[in-house]
Amino acid sequence: MSPTAVTRKTAARRSRAARGKVKPADVLIVGAGFAGLGTAIRLLAAGIDNIVILERGSEVGGTWRDNSYPGAACDIPSNLYSFSFAQNPQWSRGYSGSGEILGYIRHLVAHYKLGRLIRFGHTVTGLAFDAEQGVWNASLAGGGVVSARAAVMAQGPLSNASFPDIAGIERFKGHKIHSARWDHGYDFTGKRVAVIGTGASAVQIIPELVGKAARLKVFQRTPAWVLPRLDYSAPDWSKAVFRRVPATQSLVREVMYWAHESMAFGMIWNTPMTTLLQGVSSRFLRRQVRDPWMRRQLAPDFRIGCKRVLMSSDYYRALQRDNCELITWPIAGIVEKGIRTSEGLEHQVDCIVFATGFEVSKSGTPFPITGLDGRKLGAEWARGAQAYKSVNVAGYPNLFMTFGPNSGPGHNSALVYMESQIDYIVRGIGTILRQDLKQLDVRAEAQVRYNKGIQKRLATTNWNSGCKSWYLTEDGYNATMYPGFATQFKRQMKTFAQQDYRAL
Amino acid sequence: MNIDLDKMLAKVRSSQWALADIDWDAPGAELVTAEQWPKLKEFMSDLMWIEHVGARGFAAMAKKAPNDTLKELYVYFHAEEQRHANTEMALMRRWGMLDGEEIPEPNINLRLVIEWLDQHSDDMPLEVLGSVIPMLEIALDGALCKFLLDTVNDPVCHQAFARINDDESRHLGVGFHVLEMQGHGNLYRMALKAVATALNPKLMLGILAYLPLLNRMRDNIITMGLKEESLYSAMKKYERIGGRTAAGRRNPWFQIISRHGRLVVNRKHLYHRPVDALVRLTDHYPRRLLRPIPTWVKQLTYKTTA
Ligand SMILES: Cc1cc2nc3c(=O)[nH]c(=O)nc-3n(C[C@H](O)[C@H](O)[C@H](O)COP(=O)(O)OP(=O)(O)OC[C@H]3O[C@@H](n4cnc5c(N)ncnc54)[C@H](O)[C@@H]3O)c2cc1C
Ligand SMILES: [Fe+2]
Ligand SMILES: [Fe+2]
Repeated sequence: MSPTAVTRKTAARRSRAARGKVKPADVLIVGAGFAGLGTAIRLLAAGIDNIVILERGSEVGGTWRDNSYPGAACDIPSNLYSFSFAQNPQWSRGYSGSGEILGYIRHLVAHYKLGRLIRFGHTVTGLAFDAEQGVWNASLAGGGVVSARAAVMAQGPLSNASFPDIAGIERFKGHKIHSARWDHGYDFTGKRVAVIGTGASAVQIIPELVGKAARLKVFQRTPAWVLPRLDYSAPDWSKAVFRRVPATQSLVREVMYWAHESMAFGMIWNTPMTTLLQGVSSRFLRRQVRDPWMRRQLAPDFRIGCKRVLMSSDYYRALQRDNCELITWPIAGIVEKGIRTSEGLEHQVDCIVFATGFEVSKSGTPFPITGLDGRKLGAEWARGAQAYKSVNVAGYPNLFMTFGPNSGPGHNSALVYMESQIDYIVRGIGTILRQDLKQLDVRAEAQVRYNKGIQKRLATTNWNSGCKSWYLTEDGYNATMYPGFATQFKRQMKTFAQQDYRAL
Repeated sequence: MNIDLDKMLAKVRSSQWALADIDWDAPGAELVTAEQWPKLKEFMSDLMWIEHVGARGFAAMAKKAPNDTLKELYVYFHAEEQRHANTEMALMRRWGMLDGEEIPEPNINLRLVIEWLDQHSDDMPLEVLGSVIPMLEIALDGALCKFLLDTVNDPVCHQAFARINDDESRHLGVGFHVLEMQGHGNLYRMALKAVATALNPKLMLGILAYLPLLNRMRDNIITMGLKEESLYSAMKKYERIGGRTAAGRRNPWFQIISRHGRLVVNRKHLYHRPVDALVRLTDHYPRRLLRPIPTWVKQLTYKTTA
């Protein structure tokens, strides 16, 4: 077939879809990361297989496809940072690297035969609900529409890399790299390198780069709490035991789960455990860093848990290497040859690494979402997002989201939260298909009631204790975190209360 | 002096400058006379260390600021004082007053004050720092800069200090704003708290370092052939601006500091006998009792790029 014939055929299919002549799929899923793929796996297990996964990239894996910077790894133990329904006895380390996690995700795709469901190179630019048909239409970049009776948003909470808003950033003549779009072709050997940011990615990158670069300058705005990460390489015997007796791995997972759950006492609320954790972290800092001034620069002045706690055993050591410099002066701007800081100096470098995180939508939506009667979710969420149990929003029937409002963990594996969202979504979608509903719409009252509870509980947490973080909107509204234990979240997601929904 | 801190922060952000903005090789260095040179060298090294008194003070205040805007302002001011010190070092280098990578020595009283700040300022309440820093800024930083411009004709020096003074005006604006902010509240409770704080032995050590510093700087100014009255008028300015509003006057620390200022400017007062003795005494302060210089000092540089 000639390429033009292919295009013609695709175009014809697309226009047919647009006219609604093609029978809509049962489910469309935006994103082929852990969440999108996990949802597909659980839907398949429930006997729902008319699924389309729309993925803008050309590869599965999301976070772990994009974050391949040196040192990239999870900071929740792999045994817990994996699906409980698809445990992997082969993890080579306590905290596996990005490549190994990506390998696990690819294995899931192969094992559950998901490849046939995924359409790569499909960027969703909007979702609109057709109330008449009871169908969601996903518009695609470059034209075309994909329709389905239910839509699952799994586009990832941290999938859009963001450059900081620093004056003159476009003037820099050297090399620019974002941590989430690593340039593996760039050789750091002998280079003068700047790293902007000292968050979760930076503390993994810095120890790797410091060994290669001639000079490394680390620009810090706010120091975070750091706890040592007790990594180990998994011995062969333990892999063998996990393989032969899977129950042992489930047991290890269970122990890790409860160990992380107990952290919630200190991280989510201000308790004696908070003081204890801060004590451990402060002692770690004192033991690792000899110079009192540097210690002062690295000491956080907010309560632990208020921002993401960093897990690293080699970050502090890396900062103290002779070729490394920690710079805490505010950045005044970027110029052709480097970074100017407010103490008046121009730090000239060959390459700037931006470990500056992601655009997180705490208000607004990643693309326009149009619900019943033309209502726009972005506008409704302008002052801060809210949903019912983080999954559904009133006025947007048959739409489900993963990592929706107030679903984020601060102390436990994101996948634990994700799994219970997925199971909930599968029940919702199952209900739509089984009862052949056009609309399954959460009641506004139920959503209001739910959010009153959430915001009341949030008020007493460390996140809302007065520190600024990406968890909060400019007005200090917390639309990101779930105020409680993973166990509580799991319990709330276990019940699907159909009386809270309007079915049509 | 009621200012909008958010607007101030935006202004500070947009007013950043770098050493590279100044042409350090422009003509005019020869305008420093041979006669001026040795005194100027001493004066400049004192001046750059005074910047550090401010710098270390702001660093401590950034940790205590009651809101994020003020905190960020202090973070900037800390950096700006370092910039001033770097600029002054660059001037010294231009005038051939620096040997290699050497950092000028502070006089012993400055050294003691900085040592105290480094040791204890992080434990001091904001009211104390917020009230004394404006005094040091207006009296030392401000007055000394003015002296300098009156005596040195080098245009590059004038260029540099135009920028420095611009920064300083914002430091003072925020300084007096905070001074007044700290004057709101129950007068009785404020006074009680001030007394309790004043009895803190750490603060007493600080006062013991602060008193001779002012007299030492007065003496140095006289040695430079300058009129001490300008220093006094700068100190009176503190009382005038800080005492403009009722809130400012209610701040017990403002009262303490401005009253003390009155003693300093009154040369006939008995106050000067013990304090001048203290200045002479500190000349003999055993160097081995001094703690090692803090590592932030090593970040000082006359260079424009690194
Ligand atoms: C560096 C890093 C380390 C992390 N480490 C941990 C950890 O240790 N423990 C933990 O619990 N969590 C961790 N997280 C959080 C992590 O994001 C989640 O654990 C999880 O990977 C999220 O999966 P996801 O499928 O929801 O999103 P993603 O993995 O981001 O997948 C979303 C997918 O959607 C696609 N997509 C986005 N927009 C569109 C669109 N408009 N159209 C089509 N496709 C689209 C993206 O290309 C992507 O493939 C980490 C995150 C990062 C960035
Ligand atoms: Fe200054
Ligand atoms: Fe100043």
